[in-house]
Amino acid sequence: MRWGMAIELKRCIGCYACVLACKAEHFLPPGIFWNRVLIGEKGKYPAVTKLIYSVRCNHCADPKCVKACPTGATHQREDGIVVVDEDKCVGCRYCMVACPYQARSFYEDGHGGQHEYFPGQGLTEHEKMGKVLYPHQPGVVQKCVFCKERIDAGMAQGLKPGIDRDASPACMNICPTKAIHFGDLDDPYSDINRLIKEKKGHPFHAEFDTQPSIFYID
Amino acid sequence: MMQIKPWDFMVKYTPQREWIEGHGIMVAFAMFFGGISGGLYLSSLYFHSLLGMFIAWLLAMAAGVTDMAHLSKPMRFWRMISKPGSSWISRGFILIWLFLGAAMIQLAISQWAPGNAWETVFKVMAGILAFGVAIYSGFVVGFVGAIKIWNSGLVPILYVISGLTAGLAVVILVSLNATNLVTIADYLLAGLVVYAIFVAVYFWVATYESATARDSAVRVLRGPIAPVFWLGVVLLGVVIPIAMVAPFSLSQQVSSAGFAVAGACTIIGGVALRYVILKAGMYTPLLPDE
Repeated sequence: MRWGMAIELKRCIGCYACVLACKAEHFLPPGIFWNRVLIGEKGKYPAVTKLIYSVRCNHCADPKCVKACPTGATHQREDGIVVVDEDKCVGCRYCMVACPYQARSFYEDGHGGQHEYFPGQGLTEHEKMGKVLYPHQPGVVQKCVFCKERIDAGMAQGLKPGIDRDASPACMNICPTKAIHFGDLDDPYSDINRLIKEKKGHPFHAEFDTQPSIFYID
Repeated sequence: MMQIKPWDFMVKYTPQREWIEGHGIMVAFAMFFGGISGGLYLSSLYFHSLLGMFIAWLLAMAAGVTDMAHLSKPMRFWRMISKPGSSWISRGFILIWLFLGAAMIQLAISQWAPGNAWETVFKVMAGILAFGVAIYSGFVVGFVGAIKIWNSGLVPILYVISGLTAGLAVVILVSLNATNLVTIADYLLAGLVVYAIFVAVYFWVATYESATARDSAVRVLRGPIAPVFWLGVVLLGVVIPIAMVAPFSLSQQVSSAGFAVAGACTIIGGVALRYVILKAGMYTPLLPDE
């Protein structure tokens, strides 16, 4: 089993909903983004194309970050999800430097761990809830985890990730144009595999030689 | 500090920041201390300078301390021993500790029981480990395929040569009254010439490697990093030392003042080299090319 994503670029409208859904789902501190939307242009006037790419950790099959990590904090689960054990991370940031997709964030240690979204006004109720439900350890590296908690909990209830919303990543659920697809790349009959084959999905920057698990469909 | 607008992050060439800005500057110093420590120990072995070996031991400690100063969770440093199978930082951590141990034993034997057979054994062990300490940070940098200017086979070699020349510079500084000062100066001159060639080749080849590496090289040679490169690496690290050493070395004369200036400048140049290489690191944009 290897979890992966396929993102249809023609459907993506750059609304940033995936970025915000991820932030809300994981109660991410200010300045930390596990999802990003990269917007650029290609070509010269009058033949200009707008490029919109929703990017996150690619949970590569050959992750450089896992090899780089000196403590084993960054490791890969059997289902392909690359995770960071916050209790082992020393904050050397070698994984961040090694990642060609720059998908990781370092949570600075400071502000007494408060990191309010509205400085001087205390924590919002959402932030207080986040400190309990999804605490983030300052001084370590963090990144997209393919909503592993949702996947694990959903599968425990017999749900199917990528099909059932309660077992699927938040970014996929929120996407208004259904541009993001999630599923098992090792299952040749999964929807995501058929989508990638039919619409000729390509891995993101294959030349980085990391075998990313996120495919983009033009 | 190179500013990149948030919307340009990984859309345009994006500089590496984690290992050069803020606390990240400690990585440059850690790499320098590691390099000079290994180079100094090897040079001191060759010129039989016990003081040089001891300073090398202290510099290896400094490498470990600055590495730990960079960590945000330094009390977990012991975990860095965990992944020598794949992580160059893990390998370097082990090499430094083994070197500190072997060199400490060797220094003790050399001080209190010189001529003992174990002295030779530990000198050989520590010498091999010193080479590892000097070169490993080059592999730490070279492993990063994401940063094209770093991902070169020349980086570990450049780091070793830089470490050896800086080590020779320290040997010269501690040997200003020694009878073999001119000989040490000869070796330093040769080392500086080789170092200069490798620095030139490294940045020249970078302009051929990829667009990203070329962009990095241009930033070093003509862009915002150029002052540090030309003043620190070239002028202080190569030109002044060669100018101070060559006339006396080639005529086999002693100039303590000249050699001292050359030694100090070479050391500063070594720091500048690590800084420039880390600062030059750029990531390839993720959006497709035109």
